[in-house]
Amino acid sequence: MDEKVLIVDHQKCTGCRLCEMVCSVFHTGASNPSRSRIKVIKWEDAGLYLPMACNHCEKAYCVEVCPTKACHREPQNNNRVTIDKKLCIGCRTCIIACPFGHPFFDVSERVTVKCDHCDGDPQCVRFCDVKAISFLDADKVSMARKRESAYRFIDSMRQGR
Amino acid sequence: MRTGDIHPIRNTKYLRPQEEWKGIIAIYLYLAGMGAGSFIIGTLIGWCNVKLDPSFLPSIHLFGHTLNLSAVPILWGPVIVAIGAPFLILDLGIKWRFIYACLNPKTSWVARGFIILSIFIVLGLVLLAKSVLPFEWLHPASVLWRILEIIAFIFAFATAIYTGILLKATKSIPLWNTGLLPLLFLVSGLSTGSMAMILSTLGTGFFPHDAGALKVLMGGEQVLVVIEGIVLYLFLFRGYRVAEQGKDSVRLLVFGEMKMIFWGGVVLLGFIFPVILESIASFLPGNAVLIFVAGTLLLFGGFFLRLGILRAGIKDQIPMHRLMEIRYNSMASNPPSSPLTLRGKEGG
Repeated sequence: MDEKVLIVDHQKCTGCRLCEMVCSVFHTGASNPSRSRIKVIKWEDAGLYLPMACNHCEKAYCVEVCPTKACHREPQNNNRVTIDKKLCIGCRTCIIACPFGHPFFDVSERVTVKCDHCDGDPQCVRFCDVKAISFLDADKVSMARKRESAYRFIDSMRQGR
Repeated sequence: MRTGDIHPIRNTKYLRPQEEWKGIIAIYLYLAGMGAGSFIIGTLIGWCNVKLDPSFLPSIHLFGHTLNLSAVPILWGPVIVAIGAPFLILDLGIKWRFIYACLNPKTSWVARGFIILSIFIVLGLVLLAKSVLPFEWLHPASVLWRILEIIAFIFAFATAIYTGILLKATKSIPLWNTGLLPLLFLVSGLSTGSMAMILSTLGTGFFPHDAGALKVLMGGEQVLVVIEGIVLYLFLFRGYRVAEQGKDSVRLLVFGEMKMIFWGGVVLLGFIFPVILESIASFLPGNAVLIFVAGTLLLFGGFFLRLGILRAGIKDQIPMHRLMEIRYNSMASNPPSSPLTLRGKEGG
C-alpha cells in the first residue's frame, strides 16, 4: 500500500501560517492566505495552533453530497479526494457536510476548492520550518501511533510502580 | 441552558454556526414549503367537492375565450414554488451550472431536489392550466386527470418534505440531522400554505360561509399551528439532548445571537400573535382585517423558522478539537507548569 497522508503535529506548529502562504501561491499564483487550501486554527490566548487540511476521508461526506460529482475520489492518484473545478457549481453543500470544515469557497473563482496534495508534492510540507506537517505512508502513520501508545503505556506502568 | 455555560473555547473558531447557507436558501425553503403546502390543501379542498363561489373573480378574455379562474385561488401553489426555485440557483457560485445538477439526479439531495421540484412545478402548472383554459376537450373528468392530480399531490408532499431532507442530509450538523426536521417543515408548509390560501381568498366570499368551508379551513390551520409548535418543541428538545453541538445550536437559537429571530420571529409572529388574533377574530365574524394581520404574521413566522434553523446549524466537534479543548482546560487549571501556556503568553 503506497497511499500517503498528510500528518499534522500540532505540538510543533508555531502558527506562522507559512503553509497557508505557499499553498495559495502554488494553487492560485496569489500570495493570499484566504485562498489557501490549508488553514491554521489559532487559540492565541492558549498558544495552541492547529493546521487543518483535508483528511481525504475514506467515507467522504463531501463526495456523498456533491450534486454534480465534481467532488470525487481518484484511486489512481494517491486515493485523494479532489474537486473538478469545471464541474463545481459552487453550491457549498460539501463545505457544510465536511465535519472538518475543510473545502473552501474561492470567491474569485466562484467554486469550492480543497487540498489536492499539490499533485504529490505538498508545498506546506516542503516549506514548514518546524516540520509540523509531514507527508507519510499511511502504514507508517499507523505504526507511529502504535509505538506512541506503547511508550505511553510503558510510562504509565513505570509511574505505577 | 444559559449562554454563560458555553465554554470560551467554543463559539469562537470552529463552533460558529455555518455561514454558507443564509437568507437566500431560507427564502427558497420557505417558498417551496409554502407553495407545496398550499397545493396539498387546495387539492384536498378540490377532492372534498367544496362548492366554491367564483363570482368575485375578474373575468379575463383571451383570444375570444373566457378563462375559468374558479380554481386559481386553491391551485396557485406551483407558481409560488416556481418563484422560489430560482433562489437556489441564485445562491450558486456559478449560476448557469445548475444544469449540471439537473443532469445528475441520482447523486445527492440537492440534485434530487431539482428533479422533485421540477416535476411538481410542471405537473402543478399543467393542472392549473387545465383548470383555467376554457377548451372543452381539456375538461372531461377522465381517470388520467385524476391520476395526474394524485401524482402532483404526492410530489407536493415530496417537495414539502424535501426542504427538510436537504438539511437532514448534512450529517455533520446535529441539529439538522433528524427526521423531525422534514416533519417540521412539512407541518409548517401546510400551515403557512393553508394560511396563504385563506389570505388569497379573504374578504371575497370565495368560500361560502354558509357551507362552513372557510371555518373548517381556519380550524384546520389552527390545529396545524399547534402541531407545528409541538413538533418544534420536540425538534429543539431532541437537538438539545443529542450532542454537545446540538445543545450549542439550541442555546444559540433560544438564548444567543439568534434569540430575536426565535422569540420575535418564530414564537411571537409565527405562533402567539396568529393564535391570539384568530381567536379574537372567531368572536368577531366578518372581521377580515384581524385575519389578514394574523395571516401575514404567520407567513413571516414560517420564514423566520427556516432562517433560524439554518443560521443555528453548528457542526459536530471533531476529536482534534475535543483534544484542544481538554488541553485548554488543563492549562487553565494548572497554568505555570504547562510549557504551552508560556508559549501562548509569549506569542499572544
